[in-house]
Amino acid sequence: MTRSLCLIVTIAMLGAVAAVFLYAPTEKQMGDVQRIFYFHVASALSAGVAYFLVFLGSVQYLRTRHDRWDRLAAVSAELGVLYSAFVLFSGPLWARPIWGVFWRWEPRLTTMLITFAIYVAYLMVRSYGEPGERTRRFAAVVGIVAFVNVPLVHFSINMWAAEQQLHPQQVELDPAMLHTKYFCYFTFACLFVLLMRLRLNQERLAARLQALLRLAPR
Amino acid sequence: MNTTMPGTWVHVRLLLRKDLVAEWRTKERLSPMVFFVLLVLLVYNFSFELGGAALWEIGSGVLWSSFVFASLFGLQRTFATESDNDCLDALLAAPVERGALYLAKMVGNVLFLLGVELLTLPLFGLFFNLTAGLYLLPLFVVFLLGSASVASVGTLFAAMTGHSRLREFLLPLLVLPVLIPALISCVAATRVILEAGVPGRNSPLWPPELTVHVAMLGLFALVFTTLAWMLFDFVIEE
Repeated sequence: MTRSLCLIVTIAMLGAVAAVFLYAPTEKQMGDVQRIFYFHVASALSAGVAYFLVFLGSVQYLRTRHDRWDRLAAVSAELGVLYSAFVLFSGPLWARPIWGVFWRWEPRLTTMLITFAIYVAYLMVRSYGEPGERTRRFAAVVGIVAFVNVPLVHFSINMWAAEQQLHPQQVELDPAMLHTKYFCYFTFACLFVLLMRLRLNQERLAARLQALLRLAPR
Repeated sequence: MNTTMPGTWVHVRLLLRKDLVAEWRTKERLSPMVFFVLLVLLVYNFSFELGGAALWEIGSGVLWSSFVFASLFGLQRTFATESDNDCLDALLAAPVERGALYLAKMVGNVLFLLGVELLTLPLFGLFFNLTAGLYLLPLFVVFLLGSASVASVGTLFAAMTGHSRLREFLLPLLVLPVLIPALISCVAATRVILEAGVPGRNSPLWPPELTVHVAMLGLFALVFTTLAWMLFDFVIEE
C-alpha cells in the first residue's frame, strides 16, 4: 500500500510540476511568478487539514486514552508545521516582485505566522516533556487550545490590519489554471496521506519497540 | 450539577482567600512584578526615547508589553507554592472539584495582575507626562478584561509547565502566541482611551470605537476561561 502510494505521489508530483510550468497559462499581470500560487495554496490547505487533525486527535485522546489518537495528533502537528513553513517561505518569494517587499504585516500572512508559532510551541511541549502519559495529556490540551484560538487570531488580525489586506478575496481563474489548481490539491493530498502513513508507522514501531524493551530481561 | 454549584463557589472562595492571605504576608509575587514593570519601562524609555508625542502612538503598546512580560513572571508562581510541600497532592486528595481549583487560581491571577497594573499606572503616567483625568476610567474595564484574558490561558498553561524540565522557557512560548488576539484588543482599546485624553480634545467618556475592542477582549476571556475550566481536569489528574 505504502509503495503504490509512493509511486502515485511520484508520478502525480511530476505531473503537477509539468502542469504548473507547461499547461497552466502565464498570468497576465504577475507573469511567471504567479505559478507559485499552485503549490502555495495547496500547502496552506494541507496545513489547515493537519491542524484540524491535531484537534481531532487531541479530543479523541482525552476521551478514549488510546495512544493511536495521540500519535495522530503528534504526526499531524509535524505535518502542519512543515506545510506552514513552506507557505511562509513561498509567500515572501511571491510577495517580493508583486508587493515590492518580502514581508508585509498583512492579515493572512500574520495569521499564518502566529498559527505556526502556536504549533511549534505544541511540538516543544511534546519534545521537552518527559515521555509518558502526562506529556501526551498536556499536548492534547495544547492541541485543543491552539485550534480554538485560530479563528480568534484570524478575526482579531483582520480587525487589526484590515486596510493592509493584500490577498485577493476572490479569484476567477482560467479553466487551465483551475485544472492545474485541482491537480495540485490532489497531489498534495496524496503526499499528505503518504507522509502521514510513513510517520504513523514509524511511531507505531517505536511504541512497540519501547513495549518490548520493557519486557526484556535486564 | 445544580446541587454541586454552591459547594464549588465556597471552595473557590476558600482557595482564593488562602492564596491572598499567603500573598499578603509574603508579597512574593506582587513586589517583584511591580519592580519588573518599572525596569521594563526604563528599558523602553532608553530604546524608544519616550515621552511627549510618542506617548499617543506607542504608549499603549509599551504599557501592555510590560504588563504581559511581568505577568509571565507572576504566572510561573501560580502553582509553585503548592508544589513546595506537596500541597497540590493534598488539595487534589481533598473533596474539591478540579474546576474550583482552576477558578480560584485564575481569579487570584486576575487580582494579582490588576494589582500590578493599578500600582504601575501612576509610574507610567509620571514617566510619560500623562495627565490624569476622568478619561482614564474606561481603562479599568480594559485592565480587568485584559487581566482575565491573560489569566485564563496563563493559569492553565502554568499548571502544565510546572512539571516539565524547561518550565521557564515553555510557559512564555505557550502563552504569548495564544494571547496575541487579546493583546491586539488591549493595545487598540488603550490607544483609543489615551487619544481621548489628548489635551484640548473633547471626547466622550466612552468613545464609540472602544466597544468593538472591549467586546473582542470579553469574548477572548470568556472562551478561554470556559475552555480552560473544562480542560483543567485533564491537566492535573494524577
